Amino acid sequence: MPHSLLLCLIWGGALSMAACQWLIYVYAPTEATMGIMQKIFYTHLPLAWWALISFFVVFLASIAYLRTHNILYDLWAKAAAEIGVLLSTLALITGSIWARHSWGVWWTWDPRLTTTLIMWFIYAAYLIVRNLDLPQMRRATICSVLGIIAFLDVPLVFLSARLWRSIHPAVFASKEGGLEPEMKFTAIACVLCFGMVWLALLGIRQKYLAQQHTVETYCLREE
Amino acid sequence: MMRSSLTIALKDLRLAFAGSGGLAQAFLLGLLLIFVFSLSQDVGQRMDAQEAAAIFWLASVFCQVLIFSMLYGLEESHKARLGLLLMPAPIQAVWLGKMLAGLCLLLLAQLLFLPALIVFLGQNIYDSWPLALLALLLTDIGIVALGSLLGALAQGQAARESLLSILLFPLLIPLLLAGIHLGTACFLPEAPENIQSWLGMAASFDALFLAAGIFLFSFIYTGDD
Repeated sequence: MPHSLLLCLIWGGALSMAACQWLIYVYAPTEATMGIMQKIFYTHLPLAWWALISFFVVFLASIAYLRTHNILYDLWAKAAAEIGVLLSTLALITGSIWARHSWGVWWTWDPRLTTTLIMWFIYAAYLIVRNLDLPQMRRATICSVLGIIAFLDVPLVFLSARLWRSIHPAVFASKEGGLEPEMKFTAIACVLCFGMVWLALLGIRQKYLAQQHTVETYCLREE
Repeated sequence: MMRSSLTIALKDLRLAFAGSGGLAQAFLLGLLLIFVFSLSQDVGQRMDAQEAAAIFWLASVFCQVLIFSMLYGLEESHKARLGLLLMPAPIQAVWLGKMLAGLCLLLLAQLLFLPALIVFLGQNIYDSWPLALLALLLTDIGIVALGSLLGALAQGQAARESLLSILLFPLLIPLLLAGIHLGTACFLPEAPENIQSWLGMAASFDALFLAAGIFLFSFIYTGDD
């Protein structure tokens, strides 16, 4: 990612996140039943969406690595997996707070919650494999295979969890009205702003990993 | 490829039965799990069919982790992986051969676990057992397809059993849910709901990971350490 684009994303992400706070706390009305606690939804939703997109990037980068054996794709996969695990951790925490206030429990069986938790387990294991003491190319190949298998499993996890049972609210697909227009606008704006921050984080992390790889390669040559 | 796979499977089965207790460890761990869970019941209490099915699959998956660790360890312990790689057959024959050997051993283990479920957890076998048998086969195929792929991935690693467990367990959840739901058919007088959906789920999982195994195994099972 070019340095100028990365700078634009960092500044754009910072400013848009500030604008999001105004939308969340000033523009969007307070929900009648849940009160101020409902505001956590504007953070929870983008975290969950961008976590899933991170894992999709791992999947694409893994395929690209196995096709080309270009280590840069492996670094993209690693950066995306780390950010995905971070975002899904935050999504689970915010979701748990929401569940406690809304349903009276910290955790309940629900397709989306369960899928997020299982994805968290899978990609946490993926990060453990990434830190194994293995030759670089071997580790990159193993992780690419794992990155593909992990994402193939996601739809099945979601479908099986839905077949089991569900109580999650359908926010956008609801036929009974769903969100107020101001709330919907704020939610969409938050998703887009988080997207900019996500891209900036991904770019920074990938750049760091690429520099680390270059230094390690030079050090190995010196030896 | 099928002939080579069968040769590998037979070779692995012979070595597993002639081995120094690796197989017995796997079977004993499963039986022990079922017994330990039976301690959660009061005297004379009969465990819920769904709970019993969940314990059955938990025992099976733990057993399967040890089975695949042992099957891939056969070549590792004798430094014979290169010999297997030089075999004049597609590399996928190794994956399929290990999978078939794993399937036989897992079915054998489950043959032991089922009476243990009846004895320790107070379950009865009802008329829907053919459905439960079909579910068992579908679930087992998915478990061994993924187990054979990830078993190769964990080969040569320290603490490979724990690595294999943390990789396999979350990936197997859709299949385990199907196995648990359909497995209750065996222990209930009436068959559970959504049977077709769950059978479809198990079959989809099998198809997906059989295809993934064929495509991805050659990347994992190489001469590199």
